[in-house]
Amino acid sequence: MAMFARSSLLRQSLATRSPLLQRNVGVSQMVAFHASARKQILPPLPQEIKGTPDYPRIVNDPAPIPESHPSEGSYHWSFERLVCLGLVPLTLAPFAAGSLNPVMDAVLCSLIVAHSHIGFQAAIIDYFRPQRVPKFSSFLHWLLRGFTLTTAVGLYEFETNDVGLTEGLRRIWKA
Amino acid sequence: MFSQKVAQQSLRRLAVQQPAAMRWSMMRASPVAVALGKNVQTRPVTSSPNTEDPTQILAKQRLNRPVAPHLAIYKPQIGWVASSLHRITGVALSGSLYLWATAYLVSPALGWHLESASMVAAFGALPLVAKVLLKATMALPFTFHCMNGVRHLMWDLGRGLTNPTIIKSGWTVVGLSVASALTLAFI
Amino acid sequence: MASLRTTSRLFAARPMFRPATFARSYATVDTNSSEQPKMKTFKIYRWNPDQPSEKPQMQSYDLDLNKTGPMMLDALIRIKNELDPTLTFRRSCREGICGSCAMNIDGVNTLACLCRIPTETSQESRIYPLPHTYVVKDLVPDLTHFYKQYKSIKPYLQRDTPSPDGLEYRQSPEDRKKLDGLYECILCACCSTSCPSYWWNSEEYLGPAILLQSYRWLADSRDEKTAERKQALDNSMSVYRCHTILNCTRTCPKGLNPGRAIAEVKKMLAT
Repeated sequence: MAMFARSSLLRQSLATRSPLLQRNVGVSQMVAFHASARKQILPPLPQEIKGTPDYPRIVNDPAPIPESHPSEGSYHWSFERLVCLGLVPLTLAPFAAGSLNPVMDAVLCSLIVAHSHIGFQAAIIDYFRPQRVPKFSSFLHWLLRGFTLTTAVGLYEFETNDVGLTEGLRRIWKA
Repeated sequence: MFSQKVAQQSLRRLAVQQPAAMRWSMMRASPVAVALGKNVQTRPVTSSPNTEDPTQILAKQRLNRPVAPHLAIYKPQIGWVASSLHRITGVALSGSLYLWATAYLVSPALGWHLESASMVAAFGALPLVAKVLLKATMALPFTFHCMNGVRHLMWDLGRGLTNPTIIKSGWTVVGLSVASALTLAFI
Repeated sequence: MASLRTTSRLFAARPMFRPATFARSYATVDTNSSEQPKMKTFKIYRWNPDQPSEKPQMQSYDLDLNKTGPMMLDALIRIKNELDPTLTFRRSCREGICGSCAMNIDGVNTLACLCRIPTETSQESRIYPLPHTYVVKDLVPDLTHFYKQYKSIKPYLQRDTPSPDGLEYRQSPEDRKKLDGLYECILCACCSTSCPSYWWNSEEYLGPAILLQSYRWLADSRDEKTAERKQALDNSMSVYRCHTILNCTRTCPKGLNPGRAIAEVKKMLAT
């Protein structure tokens, strides 16, 4: 009862001298928001609600559905999981056997290259959307393709002219 | 009934306080005035038609909106921290492999020595502490990424997707990867 | 309870104010004045659209926990009633069924009405709007795109064949059971806005809440458009931006499991 009376009194007094709100009990200082001073992490574009071409201003329309691409969707996902599954025994084997024979080593290398390529691709898609940074995004995709190619060729050279990945790592580790 | 009473009261008060206003308002809208053609329709300035498209007001307001803070304020939890470490370690491991393999490819042209024999010799020449530290920094991302990768594969099969299991498996992976990385660093 | 009775007696004397103030009295609790005050600081994200050039700020408020209800929503309502009427937030049901008061409290997305105020008074509580949403004002996020995405998955029963008896579409108890843990979702957007993938790609990635709803219709034995639904999801953005970070499952204030639902969607799409 007492509290209620006090609170309504307080509200009344607030209404009459709202400019002095800052000085009131309980409401203390305003602090500049700490994260806004720093550079924003992956800053998004200003908000814009896009309608359909016929009704550009209607906000209640469903969001557009991206075109169906199983090769970028479910097949891609299944392939990626199979690569991961294949990598599990191949990464464990060298620890048991010391190093792999050239064929298994080649399989391991190609799986690692595929896994890395898919992983990098996912990172580019996640962080550098074409809507936000169109040129940089396509640059990164082409850069990745180039590097994957040089890596694949480089690993092929290492496998054929040198001792192979697992054996090389073993030797360095034992050095 | 109550509102009628209030309306009556306020009308009466208005008539007492501002007789002129009362007369004016009576004349403006009363049926008599309408019938005699004496009513003048006026529109207060405040409600004059706004020529601006109302949907555009909102669209313009949207452009000013800030984005609520996210990564900086979200509570660090094993789930998303482990997941971001998974990506960071993956990028670091694959990135170093990509750089090394590409460098190996171009090394004959640039005269670098990245063959296994020279790398083994270079690594062997390092002091023991540096060896252990280097091995640990290479092994920890590897063990963590591999073990967390297995955790992810289990999730993709639909297993272990309850809150207690997620937390438990997360800390298990952290513990196992640190232990195995230390083991690898000292062999 | 005593406070309720006294306030209602007060209202009886002034019936005019009853509708406006009745709900507010719950947030304030009357206690013996002899108790030591338990002051706690609440830091709340503020941004006013009327001053668009000003940066968002954190404003702090001190409340006596002895005089405040147990939930965060009580604290917010009390701040709005007694300290600062300009504080803006959404709330409605105060029992976790409407999803209006979803916000980020002490770093975790939850419903303010289901979140207890930590009794530790030495630590301040920080309240932000849902992460990485466009802020309308203070704690009010704009969820337009979220609702547009919900609409895009056609969240209704689609079938062409009429039911055999012409009365209703029947379902076995086992099939009905598949919808448990899915139909309870109230679309408060706590999970979607806790998902880093959704932070970066909310334009096209559907996010945990909408994908859980998607699975709710994929799992429904009565729905006949499963193939079409699956095809609409089969692209790189709609589902596969999910990297099983599982913040969604961790944060759901209703105890649901969007992470498991998305895993099931991926399994359905893969086969």
